[in-house]
Amino acid sequence: MLRLVNGPQTVGNGPAFWISFLVVLVGALVYPLFADAYDVGNFAYFLLWVFMALGLCLMWGYCGMLSFGQTFFFGIAGYAYGVLAINFGGGTMTLAALVLAVLLAALAALVLGYFLIWGRVGGVFFGIVTLSATLVLAFFLGQTAGPEWRIGEARLNGFNGMKGMDPLNVPWFDDETLYFEGSSLYYLAIGMIVLVYLGLRMLLNSRFGNVIVAIREDPQRAELLGYDVRKYQLVTFIIGSSLAGLSGVLYTSWGQFITPSSVGLPAAAMPIVWVAFSGRGDITATMVGSFLILVAFQTITVHSQQAALILMGAMLLTTVMVAPQGFVIGVARLVGRLFRRGPSARAGD
Amino acid sequence: MYQFADVFAFLILSAAGLAIVFGMMGVINMAHGEFIMCGAYVTVGLVHGGVPLPLAQLGGVLAAAVIGVVVEVLIVRKFYSRPLDSLLATWGLSLVVTQGMLIVVGSSVAGIGTPPGSFTVGEYSFSVYRLVLFGGALAALALIYVIFMRTRFGVHARATMQNPRMAQSLGVRVGRIYGLSFGIGAGLAGLCGALYAPTMTLIPTMGATFIVESFVTVVVGGANVLLGTAPAGLLLAGVRTALNAWAGQIVGQIGMLLAVIIIIRLLPEGVSGFLARRSR
Amino acid sequence: MTEILQTRALGKTFGGLDAVSDVDLSVQTGEIHCLIGPNGAGKSTLFKLVVGTYAPTRGNIVFRDRDVTAQRPYQRVKEGMSIKMQTPSVFRELPVRQNLHIALQHHVASQALAQEEDRLLELLELSADAGKPAGVLSHGQQQWLEIGMALALKPALLLLDEPTAGMSPEETFRTGELIQQLNGTGVTVLVVEHDMTFVRQIAQRVTVLHFGKVFARGSIEEILADQRVEEIYLGKPHEH
Repeated sequence: MLRLVNGPQTVGNGPAFWISFLVVLVGALVYPLFADAYDVGNFAYFLLWVFMALGLCLMWGYCGMLSFGQTFFFGIAGYAYGVLAINFGGGTMTLAALVLAVLLAALAALVLGYFLIWGRVGGVFFGIVTLSATLVLAFFLGQTAGPEWRIGEARLNGFNGMKGMDPLNVPWFDDETLYFEGSSLYYLAIGMIVLVYLGLRMLLNSRFGNVIVAIREDPQRAELLGYDVRKYQLVTFIIGSSLAGLSGVLYTSWGQFITPSSVGLPAAAMPIVWVAFSGRGDITATMVGSFLILVAFQTITVHSQQAALILMGAMLLTTVMVAPQGFVIGVARLVGRLFRRGPSARAGD
Repeated sequence: MYQFADVFAFLILSAAGLAIVFGMMGVINMAHGEFIMCGAYVTVGLVHGGVPLPLAQLGGVLAAAVIGVVVEVLIVRKFYSRPLDSLLATWGLSLVVTQGMLIVVGSSVAGIGTPPGSFTVGEYSFSVYRLVLFGGALAALALIYVIFMRTRFGVHARATMQNPRMAQSLGVRVGRIYGLSFGIGAGLAGLCGALYAPTMTLIPTMGATFIVESFVTVVVGGANVLLGTAPAGLLLAGVRTALNAWAGQIVGQIGMLLAVIIIIRLLPEGVSGFLARRSR
Repeated sequence: MTEILQTRALGKTFGGLDAVSDVDLSVQTGEIHCLIGPNGAGKSTLFKLVVGTYAPTRGNIVFRDRDVTAQRPYQRVKEGMSIKMQTPSVFRELPVRQNLHIALQHHVASQALAQEEDRLLELLELSADAGKPAGVLSHGQQQWLEIGMALALKPALLLLDEPTAGMSPEETFRTGELIQQLNGTGVTVLVVEHDMTFVRQIAQRVTVLHFGKVFARGSIEEILADQRVEEIYLGKPHEH
């Protein structure tokens, strides 16, 4: 099983790659010891979006399904976490809320994916139907300002969004409770990213991964090799969308609020920009690239949100015009080639 | 019935421009909403400058059409072989334009108000301008029909739609056809904006109000625009009106989306594919 | 001999036009069967009906004593068909070896995969190109790779639609030898072909289609001796 972390579907398979991976990981783990709490909290915030980007990369880069609905599932799971956490009365039940909320996003992906994939909706239509669903959800949530819009104890609150749910927490030593905020949320996010990243690498280099890349290249050919293309697409769609759901839960837990604006436009475009710019063809490129973009844009957003979004739009436009495969992956391949010039050439992929 | 005409007009006006561009070039223009916005802003700007409303609306349409041609030449043209990339490129453009407008003109501009006038049927009173909108939708459909079925350009355009390479070898200037088609599409989007400008608040993100309706109409209509858009509009307007009357706007919109998802499951090639198969 | 594949009164209508009508095709286990006919005779349509990319308007298809008419292509593949379509369709961006890998992973345990890939690469004379993206191979090599992928499924029935299209005479001959070699190991082969030299080289039994209907059938010798078959190919007495 573990062997599968290396393979043809992922860039970076040699010892040099894994050594750098460990260095970065150790660096990430000791970082909170040196940084102030505010920065650590910010980093946790950047990390929580990475799941959504990885999910999109899986669907789009590997399976050829361009979904514009990441924030749809983000919103479903984010709101579901809020509703559940409030109604369960918070506390350690928040973990159950996390699991249920992600499952709900998965269920939504199952239903939407079934209709789209079995209806043979592909290419550009896949994008605009998923985006339509996303926008309708955002409009709907925006209309729920009145007191009649409540689920149990939880009020949806229209444009102002839902608030007041407990953050994720677990019982800790001495009858204390560990709330995942600041540095503990940071560690939780790092742990989950490592798990998800390695898990996806294994998935991609497994039988399943081979089949979904084959589907990206030529669905008909894949079917003629005896694979039920639709099932593979549906499973991929569910996994990718659930990862967006995970981001949604972590987001809601992080800020203890969620608003319709994190579902609608322009939020729905963000994962597309991160993944397109980073390079949809590889999950490492997507992970690193998305994180870097988020860090870089934080400073611009503080200054002017509009300027940040203009830059995002311009990045998307430039990426497709200049480097359709993405910028980060381009740089990574260049570095890889430089390294391989040495005597230990031919190692790696 | 009156409600139905209203919803139908909204669907057709939102979708017509998008449908033309998709039908001709296979490109979904994600900046479609921004062309609508452009039409609306130019109209309102001209009215504030003292131009009578109908002329201002014409100005809105022309401005959107001209910008459309420019965008086609500078950006969209490069992506005809990569439809997914054209989706991303126009989305990038849309972000830049919307947010740029937010910075330049601020979040909202003073509106111009709906032209007065109403008539009554039984105990209900209706605004005359609603009739204008319905008329506008019918006119847009008629215009599309005339352009594509009754002009030389239309013959060339339909030939290009069928088989660009063949058309090229027969001497059709495919590049120009594409540019003009995109311009017509953008102009129709501008028309939508110009017609609705008096009825709504102008904000740079107003395009988003129209985008869902335009997407779903095109998806349900299918690849053949001339055949599919009008019946798709009728079908969806029927669903939407019934649901609106029964449970209100938001249920109407959600219900329409669900209907669309079910329709594409049942008719994978859209209404036009279905009609084409039936007529064979 | 038993029949591995049968079509019964199979028909496909496109907008009022009968592309294939009332075809009873039967392929015996273990033979090399060629489906021939002039252009537009309905060969490719019949092939697609058998494969499952088209749904028939009438009739049914029986494969290994099971009615597969309603099955989707992947299910037929799982039942033991293996298909190579007319235009080479390989996974262009993936390396040659991985193309084979994706086909092989159905049956072959992961430990044995590399060995099996090597064996196939050698058989197809693609060992030197194993790491290249399949899209950069020559047309003929892509055809071979695709035949290799079809073989990797270890089929009971191998279906080939014009396997030698675009090949040089020499490549065509080698393809013929490969097909015969496979047939020797017990694989039944159904080939759609219009290159009569190639058909002569490999065919044991032949079905001739003309205007969507079965025009003649028999052993290759009978068909070659049949005056009427020659006429439809040369198009003398009939129109066309």
